[in-house]
Amino acid sequence: MKKRKEQKELSSIMTRRMLMVGAAQFLLGASLIGRLYQLQISQTDNYRRLSERNQFDKRLIQAPRGRLLDVHDRLLAGNSEVFELRMLPSRVADLNQWLRRVGKIVGLRPAEIKGILKTIANQPDFLEVTVRTNLTQRELSKLAVLSPVLEGVSFRKGFRRIYPQGWMTAHITGYVSPANKQDVKDNPELRYLPASRIGRSGLERTFEFNLRGAAGLERIEVNAKGKPVRVLRDRQASSGEDIKLSIDVSAQSFAAERLRRGKSKTVPLQNPDVQRALLNNAELRAHVTTGDSLVLQDERGRLVPPESGAATVLDIHTGEVKLLVSVPGYDPNLFSNRLSVQDWRRLNEHPRTPLLNRVTSGLYAPGSTFKMVVLAAALEAGVVSQRTKYDCKGGFEFGDSTFHCWNEKGHRYVDAVAALEQSCDVYFYQIALKTGINRIHNMAQRLGLGLPTGIGFSDEKVGIMPDRDWKMESRGLAWTPGETVVAGIGQGFVLTTPLQLAVMTARIANRKYAVIPSLQAVTGRRDSIIFPPLDIAPEIIDVLHRGMRAVTSGPRGTARRYDLPKQGMAGKTGTVQVKRITKEQREKGIVDNIDRPWKERDHALFVAFAPYTRPKYAISLVVEHGGSGSSMAAPIARDILDHVLELDEQKAV
Amino acid sequence: MSALQLLLRLPWLLLISISVLVLIGALALYSASEGSWSPWAERQLLRAAVGTVLLFLVAFIPTRWLYNWSYLGIILIVLVLAALPFIGIGVGATRWITLGPFNFQPSEPAKLAVIVALSRYLSSQTPEQMQSLLTYFPVLVFIAVPFSLILIQPDLGTSFMLLIGGLAVVFVAGLPRRYVLAVILAFLASLPILWSQLYNYQKARILTFLNPDTDKLGAGYQIAQSKIALGSGGLFGKGFLMGSQSQLNYLPEKQTDFVFTMIGEEFGFIGNLAVLFTYSVILMSCLLVALRSRNRFGQLLCTGISVMLFLYVFVNIGMVTGLLPVVGAPLPLISYGGTAMLTVFIGLGLVVNVAIHQHLHDNDLL
Repeated sequence: MKKRKEQKELSSIMTRRMLMVGAAQFLLGASLIGRLYQLQISQTDNYRRLSERNQFDKRLIQAPRGRLLDVHDRLLAGNSEVFELRMLPSRVADLNQWLRRVGKIVGLRPAEIKGILKTIANQPDFLEVTVRTNLTQRELSKLAVLSPVLEGVSFRKGFRRIYPQGWMTAHITGYVSPANKQDVKDNPELRYLPASRIGRSGLERTFEFNLRGAAGLERIEVNAKGKPVRVLRDRQASSGEDIKLSIDVSAQSFAAERLRRGKSKTVPLQNPDVQRALLNNAELRAHVTTGDSLVLQDERGRLVPPESGAATVLDIHTGEVKLLVSVPGYDPNLFSNRLSVQDWRRLNEHPRTPLLNRVTSGLYAPGSTFKMVVLAAALEAGVVSQRTKYDCKGGFEFGDSTFHCWNEKGHRYVDAVAALEQSCDVYFYQIALKTGINRIHNMAQRLGLGLPTGIGFSDEKVGIMPDRDWKMESRGLAWTPGETVVAGIGQGFVLTTPLQLAVMTARIANRKYAVIPSLQAVTGRRDSIIFPPLDIAPEIIDVLHRGMRAVTSGPRGTARRYDLPKQGMAGKTGTVQVKRITKEQREKGIVDNIDRPWKERDHALFVAFAPYTRPKYAISLVVEHGGSGSSMAAPIARDILDHVLELDEQKAV
Repeated sequence: MSALQLLLRLPWLLLISISVLVLIGALALYSASEGSWSPWAERQLLRAAVGTVLLFLVAFIPTRWLYNWSYLGIILIVLVLAALPFIGIGVGATRWITLGPFNFQPSEPAKLAVIVALSRYLSSQTPEQMQSLLTYFPVLVFIAVPFSLILIQPDLGTSFMLLIGGLAVVFVAGLPRRYVLAVILAFLASLPILWSQLYNYQKARILTFLNPDTDKLGAGYQIAQSKIALGSGGLFGKGFLMGSQSQLNYLPEKQTDFVFTMIGEEFGFIGNLAVLFTYSVILMSCLLVALRSRNRFGQLLCTGISVMLFLYVFVNIGMVTGLLPVVGAPLPLISYGGTAMLTVFIGLGLVVNVAIHQHLHDNDLL
């Protein structure tokens, strides 16, 4: 009986425990379903993304950068196809040996090899690395022959930025250089853009977004070993926009060469004297090592580098920049790849700052070229009439000091036109004083001085066009009348860029509109461009025109020998003191400019427009430390204008 | 027993579910070899055919014979396991022996042999004996000897599955409650000792499991890829032969341990639920057979086999979903691999045997 009971008891325990086992299985099984729900339903989006990332290697295809073309479609900036060497680390057994071997062919420096190894270490080995960009044809063919025995090698096509005009248009084009860390931080897409280049200066920078284009996108399905299975093209690369410029390369090159030559003679580089001079003349050496082979012989027979300076020609109706020359220049091709340290140092240590765009960022006192502004302000204010005359005795005594006229003997009685013709300083001292700095400031700004010109260069300087408030704000001092006197001849605080002077001249020549310069070619109807009105009375403009005309054609004009014979030209010279002439020097008699050290010589300036009767072009020319505006700057400007007008005639025929 | 009676007693639901899983497995293996019957799917189907023959052979053996020969299995297996260090093959761990053209992994049938032996032993104990501690010394030997031999191979996963399967049988057989508690406490107490005995790679696997982000490319890689494959499958999957993770080889071992992941990637949550549902039908059938059986031997045998099958499924899916550490455990009837499949078929054959003979009483077996 007892046994029977025990058996029954055991049987019920067993049944209970079997059910417990079943329940445990059920609960644990349910937890698996919960887990699957979590993975496959709740987090499926996340895992889908991860799966896609596994499955596809995304690759951006470089878009060719837009080109920069001159007015006749000549290339200023373009692209050349280059090949890039790439390597798939997972397929290379011995990376060090591989890199050494390839390094011999394509010339990899130890530092570069180190960099590549570091990149490989920081990414999964099924991702390709770039070993070298810009393979030469020779390297490419050598590698192609080797490629069957070279594991993991592949080639990719890319573009390299080229500047066929080199230094001559360097300051217009600017340059590009590889994207750096900061660029990538600002624009993360760049990280994935193969060989992305960013415009750093000039138009490359101004039009960066138009030129850049959009990269294409390719998805390459890869297996776990990194082997491509198939390629899907999601998006074609679309090249950047081409930009047609108003620049005329032939005018540009003529102007550059003419400006560089100045008044000197060309000497062949092979000349033994030149070779000797290169040894002990650091300045000449700096100049030649930056790749310029032009060496000159000045009036004193000394071997000198070419002149430095700026030349700009504007179409006075459209504002189009016909040429924009800043010398010395640099070769922008050097920047397209990584600039070598040596090249960078040469450019930076060059005494004549080739990287500076003198046209838009070089600051010069306008000197006598400022006199049109002062005269226009005086006439508009009514403090003088065009017939008002002043007696110039060679100096103007004001307060305790004497302000000298450039002509110590004096010009005697001069009216407005004669004062411009002979550039009489005393006349302008007096009318400036009568007009006051604020009215001069106002007129200068209306003519484009002291304000951005709107040409769009990021590094453009605005210069200084002082008035009372400016002095108080920048110096914390009140304006003094003596400073107005000095400003009357474009010296003292006044600083302008050559482009601003060109704009000023273009506006005077235009008579009606405040022309704004532009480097882009005007397409469509040329007369449809609307600029803001200039709002200067025609009678005042007439006086300026007649005065400027007298400069080149009057019997006493400061540039009377340099008129344009056929079309006639109206201009204004400017000679700007860089170093004050001391009292001793004045007493001894002024040392001839050319005998002073280059750095201490006066800047030579000239602004002009032509043809006189139906103006078309305005020019502004600065020859740094070139001596006098009349003997140095005026003839160069005349030759450039002559050439530009002649090109127009040729085109018309 | 007439033929009709026999047909009626066959657990049809169980047999249909087995066929369904074998077919799912064949399809998965077809996909795993990028849409080809060779090398895996065709061989797996052949094995299933052999397995089916074995299942019915085992099913129709008189239960009494089984009862009488119950200890033969464990004796043979223990001998083979003991000899394995000398005759076995394997990289890192000696788990395999070669029998002609086949590789054979004795630790798989060992799990079954332990369940059979324990069922036999415990079902022959009187209720009084069940209360005595002495009764359990042979039990300890039945479990501990194969457990240790498999543990030192080393094969942590299989040895623990054997241990848990064996303990489940002892539990269902009616181990007094005080001993149940003692076993649990002893297990917890031995954990630190066990840990210190583990190989480094075993520790690494467990640590990786506890903190999966530390090692994305090493031991954690497989699980990370498996989770990506499962998760990206979503509700309906990427479609047959369309699983990018599996087809592009991101998924390791997709024909064996990670076959469930592959099904999940190509057929989604729905596909995985279908597989789990089919397993649950099998497990329920086993338990039903156990509950219906009139003899303790059959009850313990079926419960034990059910637990063994469940452990296979739970450990495998737990592993591929990242719930459990990486221990090589196949998915029964689906994963490519002969020994585990034949073991499962034989085990299920035992269940069918018990089902056919469910009216036998304990006394009939003595």
